Amino acid sequence: MLEIRDLVTAYGTIEALKGVSLDIAPGSITCLLGPNGAGKTTLMMTIAGVLRPRRGTVKFQGEDIAGRAPDAIVSRGIALVPENRLVFPSMTVLENLHAGAYQRRDDLAPDIERLFGRFPRLKERSAQLAGTLSGGEQQMLAVARALMSRPRLLLMDEPSLGLAPLVVEEIFRTIAELHRDGTTIFLVEQNAHMALQVASHFFLMEQGRVTFSGNPGSLAEDEVIRRAYLGA
Amino acid sequence: MTDFLQNSVDGLAAGASYSLLALGFTLVFGVLRRANLSYGPAIMLGAYAATWASLHFHAGLFVLFPVMLAASVLAGAYVERLAFAPHRAGSAITAMVASFALWMQFEELATLVLPGHLYAFPPLHEGGPLAVGSLTIRVEALVMIGVAVAACGALWGLLYRTRFGAAVRAVIDNPVAAGLSGISVPAISIRIFALASAIGAVAGFLIVAAQEQVTPMLGMWSTLKGLLAMMLGGLGSLPGAVAGGLALGLLEAHSQWYLGPQLRDFLAYFLLFVLLAARAPWMNTRSAS
Repeated sequence: MLEIRDLVTAYGTIEALKGVSLDIAPGSITCLLGPNGAGKTTLMMTIAGVLRPRRGTVKFQGEDIAGRAPDAIVSRGIALVPENRLVFPSMTVLENLHAGAYQRRDDLAPDIERLFGRFPRLKERSAQLAGTLSGGEQQMLAVARALMSRPRLLLMDEPSLGLAPLVVEEIFRTIAELHRDGTTIFLVEQNAHMALQVASHFFLMEQGRVTFSGNPGSLAEDEVIRRAYLGA
Repeated sequence: MTDFLQNSVDGLAAGASYSLLALGFTLVFGVLRRANLSYGPAIMLGAYAATWASLHFHAGLFVLFPVMLAASVLAGAYVERLAFAPHRAGSAITAMVASFALWMQFEELATLVLPGHLYAFPPLHEGGPLAVGSLTIRVEALVMIGVAVAACGALWGLLYRTRFGAAVRAVIDNPVAAGLSGISVPAISIRIFALASAIGAVAGFLIVAAQEQVTPMLGMWSTLKGLLAMMLGGLGSLPGAVAGGLALGLLEAHSQWYLGPQLRDFLAYFLLFVLLAARAPWMNTRSAS
């Protein structure tokens, strides 16, 4: 579904991605692990079009989308739940959901009903400003906002960051449900144990490169987790 | 007491036009986090286009207004394309200096087409002021206040009741998240420049028609008044821009009456200095992080 080849993204002269190549199969949950500063967020932001790569290709369903604007990438069916959520704080919950569906011209009511069914807290607070929500609620909103564009590929950057354990479980339950409904998911996660329970495939990134790939349950899992946490 | 009321009415009328100027400034600042110095000169260029039409075709105000509006909007869009679009990801200083260069360009263009120091502009209202009790109220002042109220209402409706307005507010809140939601930030940006110039042109038109004259200084004057009113109200807040404009108008009218015209401008800048130094709670005085 997504084929990344030799992707290089730099901040000034510092290359954060030094030639990343990886594939994501349709219908999978793929997890990207790695220590801080490995380039995981840079990779997500480059796929989503926020950062422009120096070199390399990002093929989505056969089309090279590397270097396109973020709105053009959303229109092709990719949505990113960014690190730190980035909800629109001075807009209401409902307005945030509408913003997520900015490119759609059809009726949004059924989608909003379904998302409110999945996240009842958002329904209770639909008229409240997003900036007044708790961290967990903001994360739910960020996921719901991304889903409003009806993505075929959902990118999630550290969805459990800074959240209470019960909320983290809720987030992972949601990820599993979205996957059952047919959405392909590419997930960056510090919480390796949780991530590997839902993932069908994982990559390890270190210092701007993919250094390992495999399936959960394989012999290398412990080694990968150790390296993801310790960066050693 | 009569003096105080009279000054307050005059100050509110001037403040209404400052509020409009500040609203245009604030829209651009909110969306791009960049100060557009040639905001005022674009309005001035529109006023010159209208003056030119008035001199050559003796057109009435109902023709001059759309001419000024169109010329200002075009000039604003030109500024966005040349000074702001190329530096979207670059430094704020680069875009500001580029907008200063276009300011010089606009002043040169205006003085090439109409080289005189001062041109007459058709009056907004012919005939004397109205007497209301012991106050004399200029019809121009009433028009200015009325138009400003209507323009604020229309802008509020646009921002809070339309799909475009929701996209603008999303970009103001967080441009990266807006892009990730599928909103084209460059497309919003050029529309905001056009809208800001249109609001500025409404204010500028009322000002030149009330004063019945146009000079190249209108550009610098509009930028300074808009910037000052925007900063008084707290950088980047639309209600703050309206409040800042009204406060500036009232302050000027009263200080001119009680302290004289020399101290009028001094007092406004001094107030801004005090508010910034004291970190007034409504002002964005947090350091950049």
